[in-house]
Amino acid sequence: MNFIKKIIPMKDFTLKSLMTFEKTPLNLLMFFITVGLLGAFGWGVVEYLMHSHHAYNVTREHPWGLLIAMYIFFVVSSTGLCIVGSLGDVFGFKDYMAMSKRAIFGSIVTILAGFAVIAFEIGHPVTMLIYNVLSPGLTSAIWWMGTLYGLYLTFMIIEFIFLMRNDMKNARIFGLTGLLVGLAAHSNLGGVFGFLNARIISNGVFYPTYFILTAFITGIYLIYLMYGFRYKMQIPDDIKKGLLGLAKIQALLLAILMFFETWKFLTAIYGGMPGRADTAEHILHSGAFLYGEVLCGMVIPFVIMLATKWQSIKLYVFTSFIGMIGIFFMRYDLVHDTQLKPLQMMKTVEYQLPPEWVEYFPSAAEIAIGFGGIGIFFMLYYFGQKMFDLEGGAH
Amino acid sequence: MARYGMALDYKNCINCKACEVACKEENGVELGAEKHRIWVGGNNPEGQWPLLDIASAAFLPSQCQHCDDAPCEEVCPTHATYYDENGVVRVNADKCILCSYCMNACPYDARYVDDRTMTVDKCTFCSDTRLARGETTTACQNTCPTKVRTFGDLDDPESEISELLRTREHFSLKSHLGTNPKLFYLT
Ligand code: SF4
Ligand code: SF4
Repeated sequence: MNFIKKIIPMKDFTLKSLMTFEKTPLNLLMFFITVGLLGAFGWGVVEYLMHSHHAYNVTREHPWGLLIAMYIFFVVSSTGLCIVGSLGDVFGFKDYMAMSKRAIFGSIVTILAGFAVIAFEIGHPVTMLIYNVLSPGLTSAIWWMGTLYGLYLTFMIIEFIFLMRNDMKNARIFGLTGLLVGLAAHSNLGGVFGFLNARIISNGVFYPTYFILTAFITGIYLIYLMYGFRYKMQIPDDIKKGLLGLAKIQALLLAILMFFETWKFLTAIYGGMPGRADTAEHILHSGAFLYGEVLCGMVIPFVIMLATKWQSIKLYVFTSFIGMIGIFFMRYDLVHDTQLKPLQMMKTVEYQLPPEWVEYFPSAAEIAIGFGGIGIFFMLYYFGQKMFDLEGGAH
Repeated sequence: MARYGMALDYKNCINCKACEVACKEENGVELGAEKHRIWVGGNNPEGQWPLLDIASAAFLPSQCQHCDDAPCEEVCPTHATYYDENGVVRVNADKCILCSYCMNACPYDARYVDDRTMTVDKCTFCSDTRLARGETTTACQNTCPTKVRTFGDLDDPESEISELLRTREHFSLKSHLGTNPKLFYLT
């Protein structure tokens, strides 16, 4: 322990202090939610170990499901928090200095939660670790994404150590490197979809850039939630200024996102290319897109921020909750919509009439593991708060 | 080394599905409609009874196209998918991590998950079975009663498939995607 403390300053804690917390209704609620989610995760993993991919509802036509969406949800959150954390310690914006530690810590635990989820989606994670090195597929976006995220996590941890040691010079160097690697990894994740020639709805440059934009948006929603919970809405002044500033940035980012989305659909539908136009129209009629993505993820938060002139932190915390629901749907829809269109060739019939659109709904095990990842995030974040002093930031 | 391909005289197909059965038997493919390396699709006849357009009701056998520029190979993170020395696109089950990226990337719906190994499988032109034993035909070709399929070396000008491709009009599927399939449909 002392050895670790020499590397990274920690608070004094005992097993008992780790397990005890103030029994306020909110804390208790969080406790039960976390335990419930962790239980679900455990059950899902057992289900998976017993039945492997048969525990999931993924099929030949729809090989990627909820777990991929949740993995993306977590890594987008991580990149977002990394961007927010970098505002202070990398770019030197004074108003955001006080947030760096918490944001960077958040970016580490969200990506760990993401890795925990993806470990049960990839059929053979150990094989992956071996052959990613022995026979790397350098033309594969998944290879780059995985490798860069591994590096990114390493840099984030080093940056966090320097932050905790108040060594701002080194924190800045590793922060900047981590940020750049993270952005590369993240746009590669967009490239995983962008490279799919077979799925014209996803093909192209849209996703690699869109991922960075929505990451920043997600990071801001999350930092609101983290501080809202930390200070039970009584936010201290040094944080307040930064949070109010972030609201302005958020409104701007949301405006850009809506602009992006509008053009995506205009270009997809214009010209009527089969596989693109019809899929886009189908998406425009789906509730998950309209209510989840557009309303919760973009319109409601944007309108609230505009209407309150960037002055109401309490409201933004609640808004961010709605926003994160929207972000979840953004990830889910991205994965599902990519696979919506059956890859029919010349045939129209095969054994039975193929459905016009490929259906998918996650199985109980997928839901348990996917949302259980949130439990892992809560647990790691809770322990982190107890072990590290996340207050104050760069000076 | 050869560059194997297949020509399909698909209008001769009578939908007997003997090729599907032979493929499963030869290569140990599991039973079930979801698990298949090759399949016979179809089109219902167009028009209203009694004015049906019989010619439109074709049966369409298909499988992995053994693309020369295979998207599945490009996206595989561990090089589990590779071109063998005969240009056949193969999957090394020991390296496959079941990320399913290739299933999403293949424009021809040609891959499935083998439940026993939990890795991705697909048509290999019988490379592990018949070709490995020194035979020169695939199981589907060998069993087809109407001689829909002709398998052979595209680089050998004397081969039957080269002769067919020289003398008959043909097309390949989704050619606009630039995957350069080595499966040719004869018209
Ligand atoms: S048809 Fe599909 S599986 Fe076969 S080589 Fe082409 S992309 Fe790969
Ligand atoms: S599922 Fe297997 S063969 Fe397909 S891309 Fe992933 S590792 Fe390669």
